[in-house]
Amino acid sequence: MHSQLSPTPFLPTRAVIRSIIPMSTDNYLFQFRIDEPGDLVNCAPGQFVQLWIPGAGEAPISVCSGEIDGVLELCVRKTGRVTDALFNLNEGDWVGIRGPYGTGFPVDEYRGKDLVLIAGGLGIAPVRSLLQYVLNHREEFGKLTLIYGMRHSQQLLFRQELKVLLRRQDMHVYIAAEEVVGPDLPSVSWQLGRVTDMIKLAEIDEGFLSAICGPPVMYKFVVAELLKKGLKDNNIWLSLERHMKCAVGKCGHCFVGGTFTCREGPVFRMDTLRFLPEVIECS
Amino acid sequence: MERSAIFPKSRFQEFFDLMQEFGDVFAPRRVSEKSFSFKQVKNPSEIAFEALRTILPPKKFFFQQRETIISYDENGVRETKPKVSPQVLFGLHPCDLAGLGIMDKVYSASPPDPHYMARRQATLLVGLSCMPDKHCFCKAMGTDSPTSDYDLFLTDIGEDYFVQIHTPIGLQMVGSKKELFSGSDETKSQAFKDFWTTRDQAFTSHFQSENLPAIMDMEWDNKVWDELGNRCLSCGNCTPVCPTCYCFDMVDVASLHAQAGERVREWDSCQFVGFAKVAGDTNFRPGPVDRLKFWYRHKLHGFEDPHGLPTCVGCGRCTESCPAGIDDIVSVVLRLQGKPSVLISDRTTGATNSDCCGSDGGCGSGCGGCGSTHGSTSGGSPGCGGTDTGGHPHA
Repeated sequence: MHSQLSPTPFLPTRAVIRSIIPMSTDNYLFQFRIDEPGDLVNCAPGQFVQLWIPGAGEAPISVCSGEIDGVLELCVRKTGRVTDALFNLNEGDWVGIRGPYGTGFPVDEYRGKDLVLIAGGLGIAPVRSLLQYVLNHREEFGKLTLIYGMRHSQQLLFRQELKVLLRRQDMHVYIAAEEVVGPDLPSVSWQLGRVTDMIKLAEIDEGFLSAICGPPVMYKFVVAELLKKGLKDNNIWLSLERHMKCAVGKCGHCFVGGTFTCREGPVFRMDTLRFLPEVIECS
Repeated sequence: MERSAIFPKSRFQEFFDLMQEFGDVFAPRRVSEKSFSFKQVKNPSEIAFEALRTILPPKKFFFQQRETIISYDENGVRETKPKVSPQVLFGLHPCDLAGLGIMDKVYSASPPDPHYMARRQATLLVGLSCMPDKHCFCKAMGTDSPTSDYDLFLTDIGEDYFVQIHTPIGLQMVGSKKELFSGSDETKSQAFKDFWTTRDQAFTSHFQSENLPAIMDMEWDNKVWDELGNRCLSCGNCTPVCPTCYCFDMVDVASLHAQAGERVREWDSCQFVGFAKVAGDTNFRPGPVDRLKFWYRHKLHGFEDPHGLPTCVGCGRCTESCPAGIDDIVSVVLRLQGKPSVLISDRTTGATNSDCCGSDGGCGSGCGGCGSTHGSTSGGSPGCGGTDTGGHPHA
């Protein structure tokens, strides 16, 4: 009990907005320059940071860049108090960032295996961090498939990057929207439908490992479809969304059953969730 | 090895003076006809020795109801160091000591919380024996005798107090006033043993806690949750009064010119509708049934990880303070176990919560029923009446 007191874990480091890239009407990609990144340089795919806008508060945001080299990328949707405040900031303004937190995707287990990455909507953000990692070490992984679905084609994020990915010979990309209108994306084979329809189409088999991130309502259906493809639930990893307030396993907001999502998660292997209540069901 | 000593009750003033040498003394004081609160005492006559449970548990001394963690202005962002002065908490019963033990585990776990730890390290804990009433069930939870989390523990053995000395600083306290204390003799030791035997037999509320986690899992869909949850007001009273409810929120309080401000930690309650809400208005526990069930699970099942303990210590505060009469852990557990039980609301003439809210500054600073815990962040009062106002701004 009697020990030297450490500094508070809630102290953020200063991050300056280097650039703001609109991706769709309410989703921007923010690039931050961090002078003293500390542990952030070791951020693993799937981990998250606490983004603090002074005066507005903190929110957990998934890191969406595969490797952090003085610049951290966050793809943020304007959807609440903190993100509203972020969207009012300009390049050159500063925010606070602390992290990285949580357990990300199991890159070491994925290595050498075939991989299917599944993203719904803004779930592309953490999936992109994993995708960038895999592409940076492409030869270390087997077959690679990306499935990305959204409600409306105008909500497509990372449009330019996807155009490049679609031309790659070493991976399959499936993009689906429930409604497709507006300017067509050259050479994007838009599919009308849902993520689950793409899973049916995709050439994936029981040898694949999977990584999923999307809105909570999506998981039940995606997992069921993957099981039909022959994947076992110990080959399925989900990134769960909770509103972490402290991110250090104390505040209780991210409890799933008796587990802190901010520490054990946000990425969980499906079979470890089997015994927990309140995992993916929601209103 | 534990040591012990004796001092006569008639010389309590000297013991009190001794405590004051080690810091400001806080002890239960009567604040209304039926309620007590831990407050500073300058004189032994202010102490309510008969107090069984205070409105708020002693966690409030370490995990403060509202506390600035970080402040910022034009010059930067910095940690706000806690203001700490030596203090002695007197009159803690075994359940409160066990509760603090659990709080210590949570807040000392990596990364340790410096605000909690600084206050904890500056505090001496002096326990006091008690006799259970109908709400007490610490025996069922196995927290009915003082275990590890105290410096001194006083057992009332009639004319004297029997003092268990548990820590080096406790020994130092006793050693610094040798003329007050004497060694125990056979009669006194026997009186000590008799007291704890009598106390053990005095419990009227009891259940078997064996395999409670398994039963909580098994009965996750039991209809008792719907029955109780539908009566729940989502007032959140049960959480501030719980010695082990440690959940909190972090909010920004900006100055008017918005260039400076503070990040403040304040108590939060899993019974508020916004507690498990995420972006896009998705709520993992939208109804009072979900939230009540979650709270019960946390208290009785404990965490699978990382702490591995049930977090109920059997103090009975939630039972006493629930305005709907549904936080009756003993009855609920008996029902889950398939044994006959009667809800407390049917056993008594109603909750005693009105005493709490009407009377005490200590309550005003912590009782969710008054809405004060969250009034500042939500604009509304998610604490009152279970209205779904969406207490938490979320992003």
